[in-house]
Amino acid sequence: MTEKNVVSASVGRALSHQLQEADWLADWRESAWTSFQTLEKPWLEKTDLKRCQFEVVEKSPSTGSHLEARKLFESVTGSAVLILGNRIEAIRLTEEDKKNGVVLMSLHEASHTHRHLLEKYLGSVVPSSHSKWAALNAAAFQAGVLLYIPRHVEVSSDILIIRSEEEALESAYPRTLVIADTGAKARVAEMQFAKPAATSAAATSDVWEVVAENDARLEIGLIDEILAGPYRFYTRRAKLGKDAEVNWYAASTGDGLAVSDIESLLDGNGSRSNTRVLGTAVGRMHHDLTAKMTHAGRYSESDIVMHGVLRQKANAVFRSCTEIVKGAVEAGSEQHDRMILVDSTARADAIPMLLIDENDVKRCGHAASVGKIDPNQIYYLMSRGISEKLATRMIIWGYFEETILSLPVEEAVREAFVARLEKELD
Amino acid sequence: MSVPQLVIEGLHVTVEGKEIVKGLDLTVGGGEIHAIMGPNGTGKSTLASALMGHPKYEVTGGRVTLDGQDLLSMSVDERARAGLFLAMQYPAEVPGVSNANFIRQSLNARAGEGNEIPVLKFHRQLQEKMKKLNIDASFAERYLNEGFSGGEKKRNEILQMSMLEPRIAILDEIDSGLDIDALKIVAEGVNNLKSPQTGFLIITHYQRLLNYIVPDRVHVMMQGRIVKSGGRELAEYLEAHGYDELKAELGIEDESVQAGV
Ligand SMILES: Nc1ncnc2c1ncn2[C@@H]1O[C@H](COP(=O)(O)OP(=O)(O)OP(=O)(O)O)[C@@H](O)[C@H]1O
Ligand SMILES: [Mg+2]
Repeated sequence: MTEKNVVSASVGRALSHQLQEADWLADWRESAWTSFQTLEKPWLEKTDLKRCQFEVVEKSPSTGSHLEARKLFESVTGSAVLILGNRIEAIRLTEEDKKNGVVLMSLHEASHTHRHLLEKYLGSVVPSSHSKWAALNAAAFQAGVLLYIPRHVEVSSDILIIRSEEEALESAYPRTLVIADTGAKARVAEMQFAKPAATSAAATSDVWEVVAENDARLEIGLIDEILAGPYRFYTRRAKLGKDAEVNWYAASTGDGLAVSDIESLLDGNGSRSNTRVLGTAVGRMHHDLTAKMTHAGRYSESDIVMHGVLRQKANAVFRSCTEIVKGAVEAGSEQHDRMILVDSTARADAIPMLLIDENDVKRCGHAASVGKIDPNQIYYLMSRGISEKLATRMIIWGYFEETILSLPVEEAVREAFVARLEKELD
Repeated sequence: MSVPQLVIEGLHVTVEGKEIVKGLDLTVGGGEIHAIMGPNGTGKSTLASALMGHPKYEVTGGRVTLDGQDLLSMSVDERARAGLFLAMQYPAEVPGVSNANFIRQSLNARAGEGNEIPVLKFHRQLQEKMKKLNIDASFAERYLNEGFSGGEKKRNEILQMSMLEPRIAILDEIDSGLDIDALKIVAEGVNNLKSPQTGFLIITHYQRLLNYIVPDRVHVMMQGRIVKSGGRELAEYLEAHGYDELKAELGIEDESVQAGV
């Protein structure tokens, strides 16, 4: 497999040409490339990025077998996309979704066929100026996916995007654009498969851009497998119209290094958003995760619930951040973070943040805790004959159960995730 | 199976550096019902927790055997699997773990690998026992003790006991907070299990429970030890006269654990 660092000034344009995109998208990438180069190297309070190298890494197409990903693609019945490395391998639309005008296709192709949609929405929620890694993604994204749900269409089956990486950096810049038009409803999720790789200084950047127009409703599942390798940056951001609702369910496992942001921009009056995070971390994982709610709309409401379980020498920083900007009267928000340290060598921070510029808020609160499992719970389970190991597992599973059951995915996907979690917690 | 026997000899228990149980002797055999009574804070729950092996309660002296085996060297789960059961005064709440799953895992832990109880048989048994204890069927899937009322927690402890069929059952204030109907149901749960295969140690403040569960022996605990033992008439005497007369008779001024030497 060949790997080369591309430093030429026209990287965006070259890639666009290679992917046979429309000229306007080549220009769009090119301007992203310019912002990428001008943006300062980022600094994070809790994550050391000194060694991290921000540059575009190009990889030749994947030659792996991707058995797990292929199997899952075959076992789901809803519309689905299968992405192997940086190539979209297959796209399947159900008859019903097709009939309803649901669009599920490559962003590259959509630059010709759905130019108006892309020009309106691409980069509207995650602009290149958002961060250096967002700009990196905009310039270099590959295997981009567009999902568009037309006005008032309610998708009845769960939509799934499968991304599989068998060699390091072979899917370094995935991008997904989801648009739920006025009154549309859908459940959509992405499940990632990864393989362990040697640690490297390279940066990957994964972007989910979500638009929920007025009255739209989206349930979004993100199942990330964060294994050791490069520095992984995830930007998942939704923008909500009037009375729209977006609920995120983000589950991650692994021993890698990641900086994840999940944010809802509650622009519309009466919009609402919930974020549930389930994270397990093993080995020497470092996970710097921020779940953010930005309230601009009046009567907008949000909740953040984060559950982390850390083992071995893992380290996690889970931030929940609620911002209520001036004018967002009667907005309300609640945060609950709980992180369990299974081993005394693990470390965790739960950092709640409230930034409130409006006096007239409805409810606002946070609760955060970091610690061991309550010894009285373990004692109680053991007092009926259950071993300490099983008691610990039962309590941890109990703690994750609600999030696992809420994942907007078909049972085959849930089972695959539960199997992964079981392996991780064993 | 042999008749169970719990033997406690000269037991001393310390909590957070403070000695609470100060030399306690007691033997409970299969088919016997022993009641422990005594004023608040005299070490009754401490005794029960130490026997079960709660990590906060440190045994600093004495011996305890269950069926001849050294109980104190066993971990909490080993004690349970050896046949010890404690219905707790304040059981923990465990969100996310359903009652049914908890009880099934407990049964399977005792049965051992390869002897797991079939799922359907388990649920049939569970529903049967829940019905007898007047527990709503929905409690099987409720999270363990989460949002249960005081009385519901007590009945849930008895449900676990009747499913597990222990060799020695310790019930710590299983009657407190129960109305008379619930009390009768709980007592029936205990009486149903009464056989030479099970011995009971029942901690209570009230004679009224002992109207329904008739004890063979009644012990009074003060200052971290048993200060008087007798038949069921001792409970009636205490009900009629209170603890003060007994204290005067025994020459005890302060019955709390701080006072004892
Ligand atoms: N976990 C603990 N931590 C600190 N002190 C404790 C603990 N458990 C018991 N104690 C102390 O030990 C003494 C005896 O308490 P215990 O609960 O055994 O009494 P009891 O006889 O069961 O009382 P009650 O009838 O009120 O239930 C009390 O002074 C109590 O404060
Ligand atoms: Mg007590």
